[in-house]
Amino acid sequence: MAQKSDLLQGSLDLLILRVLSRGELHGWGITQKLEQLSKSALQVDEGTLYPALYRMEAKGWLQADWRQTENNRRAKFYALTRSGRKQLSQAQEDWQRMSAIVDLILETA
Amino acid sequence: MSFFHGLNFRLRALFRKRDLEREMQEEMRFHLEQRAAERADEGLSPEEARRAALRKFGNVGSLQERGRAARGWTWLESFGKDLRLALRALLGSPGFVLLAVITLGLGIGANTAMYSVFLSIARRPLPYPEVSQLERIYRSTAQNKEGEFSAADYLDFRAAGGAYQVAAQARAEFNLADAGRPPEVAAALRISANLLGLLGVQPQLGRDFRPEEDAPGRERVLVISHRYWKSRFGQAPDIIGRQVRIDGVSHEIVGVLPASFNDWRHLGWVDVFRPLALTPAEATDRVQPRLRFLARRSTSVTPEQGAAFVSAFARRLAAEHPAENAESSWWTESLAESVVGNNGPMTLAMLIGLSGFVLLIACSNLANFLLARTMARAREYAVRAALGASRLQLLRPLAAESLLLALGGGACALGVAYVFLHWMMLRSTGDNGEMVPLGLDWPVLTWAFLASLFTALAFGLAPALFALRLNVQATLKSGARGSTGGRFQQRLRQLLIVGQFALAMILLVGAALFVRGLAELNTRRAGWESDGLVTATVLLPGREYPGAAEIDAFQRETRARLEALPGVQSVSLSGTMPFFGFGLARKFVVQGRELPKAGQEPAAVTNAVSPRYFETVGTRLLQGREFADSDQPDAPRVFIVNQAMAQGLFPGESAVGRRLGRMQGSAIEWGEIVGVVADVKSVYAEKDPVAYQLYQPVAQEAPKLLEIGVRARGTAAAALVDPIRAAMTERHPDLPLRRLQPANARIERANYQLGVLRDLLGCFALLGLGLATLGVYGVIARTMAQRAPEFGIRLALGARVRDITRLVLASGLKLALLGVLFGLAGGYGVSQLLASGYPGMQLENGPAMGGVALLLVCVALLASYLPARRAAGINPMETLRAD
Repeated sequence: MAQKSDLLQGSLDLLILRVLSRGELHGWGITQKLEQLSKSALQVDEGTLYPALYRMEAKGWLQADWRQTENNRRAKFYALTRSGRKQLSQAQEDWQRMSAIVDLILETA
Repeated sequence: MSFFHGLNFRLRALFRKRDLEREMQEEMRFHLEQRAAERADEGLSPEEARRAALRKFGNVGSLQERGRAARGWTWLESFGKDLRLALRALLGSPGFVLLAVITLGLGIGANTAMYSVFLSIARRPLPYPEVSQLERIYRSTAQNKEGEFSAADYLDFRAAGGAYQVAAQARAEFNLADAGRPPEVAAALRISANLLGLLGVQPQLGRDFRPEEDAPGRERVLVISHRYWKSRFGQAPDIIGRQVRIDGVSHEIVGVLPASFNDWRHLGWVDVFRPLALTPAEATDRVQPRLRFLARRSTSVTPEQGAAFVSAFARRLAAEHPAENAESSWWTESLAESVVGNNGPMTLAMLIGLSGFVLLIACSNLANFLLARTMARAREYAVRAALGASRLQLLRPLAAESLLLALGGGACALGVAYVFLHWMMLRSTGDNGEMVPLGLDWPVLTWAFLASLFTALAFGLAPALFALRLNVQATLKSGARGSTGGRFQQRLRQLLIVGQFALAMILLVGAALFVRGLAELNTRRAGWESDGLVTATVLLPGREYPGAAEIDAFQRETRARLEALPGVQSVSLSGTMPFFGFGLARKFVVQGRELPKAGQEPAAVTNAVSPRYFETVGTRLLQGREFADSDQPDAPRVFIVNQAMAQGLFPGESAVGRRLGRMQGSAIEWGEIVGVVADVKSVYAEKDPVAYQLYQPVAQEAPKLLEIGVRARGTAAAALVDPIRAAMTERHPDLPLRRLQPANARIERANYQLGVLRDLLGCFALLGLGLATLGVYGVIARTMAQRAPEFGIRLALGARVRDITRLVLASGLKLALLGVLFGLAGGYGVSQLLASGYPGMQLENGPAMGGVALLLVCVALLASYLPARRAAGINPMETLRAD
């Protein structure tokens, strides 16, 4: 089992937005994708995932639709809205700037 | 975009809660199934896989809770829940709810009604275009701040033009008759032809006066009010062009004003307008003040510039005609301000203030009720706080409760205000059916709503905040019944009671003063006697009674005819009745003395009276003689003066036999003083401005508007009314006899608006007293119930029942006395306010304050006596065991 690491505050939103920018997914799909991309280093807690999804839907970043999965099951698919995309690029920029700063300090201090 | 999307989402979250809830469950079930399937692939049995998935997923309920919170309406949803809970809690104690709602309803209702009155009288805009340019101009003299102008003043000012267009009006009552109807006296104004246009009013039917109709001989045209069109002519569509007789002369109705013009606040209740049409004699008259000015300031002139222009003009006039104008100055006031009247703003402010006191008492009562309720549940709150409820969670149900109470109270208040206003409208309806329109319109409803909300927040949340200050541990440890509250809470509740008593004291003092003052006005017998006196008014038409000779003949004949009736002691005719004040002030000089500087001659108010007048109205003759039939129009002029004038002009000498001159512009008419009579005072609340009173024979100073006075002998005054009417109509079928009724009824009616005010004040005072009584009873009763164990111990230790009773009574009395003490200061303030607004009223505050203080103390004792008796009835064993 991979070690479960706590995500930094706000980074889950960024990861979800990024994953959804490749195409729409349902909640389960998002957890799978995140696990897969992080090579199982990251296991998203459902207890954080769904509130985060609802919050972002309320903010208008995501749009949800009920659709059939490939196994013919009904599931709720989340997709990025325009303002979700804007938010993603903004958050990505912020993150990169921040992590550069953190790296810089860790290396030089 | 995203905003609308978000809004849409949130609205859906709010209104389609059930759907969303189902979707959320379905979504999570899908997730769990997928996870279980994954585990099953790893080789777990389906049951184990499901359990593993659930374990991983965590607490589904709490997850759903967090999901709901993310949707953003939880606070509203849970507030809805709070409201439901609060409703249930309130329904559990209907007595408390009833008390609170009625308390609030009365307080807010009284205040709302007063606010509505204030709006209708002071704030409703006058129905004229560019009303801010409209002004009244007054001529201020020593006797009258809002004095009138002579016709020559008017013509001069009009010619000067400048900053103002000016219009003039003069009161002119006359007898109006049309075919097939008994004649009646119409309330009328003579107006300059430009007055309606200057206001910006167009007749609804017909036309306005034409400028050329503002001249003698051309003026036989009338414009009537909408109300008169309805009441006298039944809204006849062919009203324009109809001929009616004014004092016997045919006039044509040329216009009907719109209903909106009927604004009682401005011109009064005028039924008929006719052109001013100054006669040549009037137009050159600089002495007789007869006109009121209405002016429109040109838009390029500021009010200050306008005022400066007017006073400069007055100074110029005074320089040119010092005899008539030296002692007067001109001033302006916006029309909007002038309609509220002299006492208006003060009275309205006082009423709103006093009704605010009622509301405050109601509010502090509510705060006390809620505080007591919260304290009684202190343990419950402490337990909830101990279990981890946040402050907000503790506060919300309390806020919900007070919000519900406020809504209930507000609804009740609207009912109260409606009844109040309806009553006031009925009560303040005048003689001619003039009615002040009062109602609940939007601003008033908003006021009521805001007042309720304010009350709820201020006085509902205050106790709730105290609940938050609770010391959890101390409360949990203290007795099972809940505590009386800490020292601080106890203080607050006592403070509220003290405040209530102070406010109630102020209300009661105001009401007591006013009730006594008005009773004194209505029963005043200041130099006259109204019991057994019947009065009526006649207006003699100028065509049939052109001069003093005809009026004197009418006077003699009427007296002879009425004195012949059985039960009649004496009859008089006069320009006015003493209880309604005197006529115009005139200036006089004493013969044989140096003439005072122009304009500084002593002034006296005058009355024209027939023989036997003093006997009829009951004014004592102190010296000399009454007027007699020998004082003919062409006989030497004679005067009778009152005591104040006799002593003022002839100190230490006899006034009888001295000669006075009456100023007529720069001319002087000389006459002899033949008698001195007692001073008389009117029944009005305003102070009579002039102390000197002078009488002339009706034959020599003949007024066309005459008051008939009939003194009854042995019979009740009311019994004479019908015989008098029969006798008068038999002789003068075309002469309307107005207000034929016992003098006392008319006196009562004269101050009916003060009567409304008195009733309002009385009502507020009773409300305040009732609420304060309830408050002190509630607080003492509850404190006693909570101190029952203590009393039990005291009794068990040998205290006597008397000691307990005394303890309880003393605690109530202490609060009442403190309140009364503070109230004394406030009561004194109210009495000063009333005295400044109604200087003619006798307002002695000493007895009123003493009486009210005594009453309040008695009420407090009574309100504490009931709980005291219960406290004394405590069975020590039972109380001690109960814990």
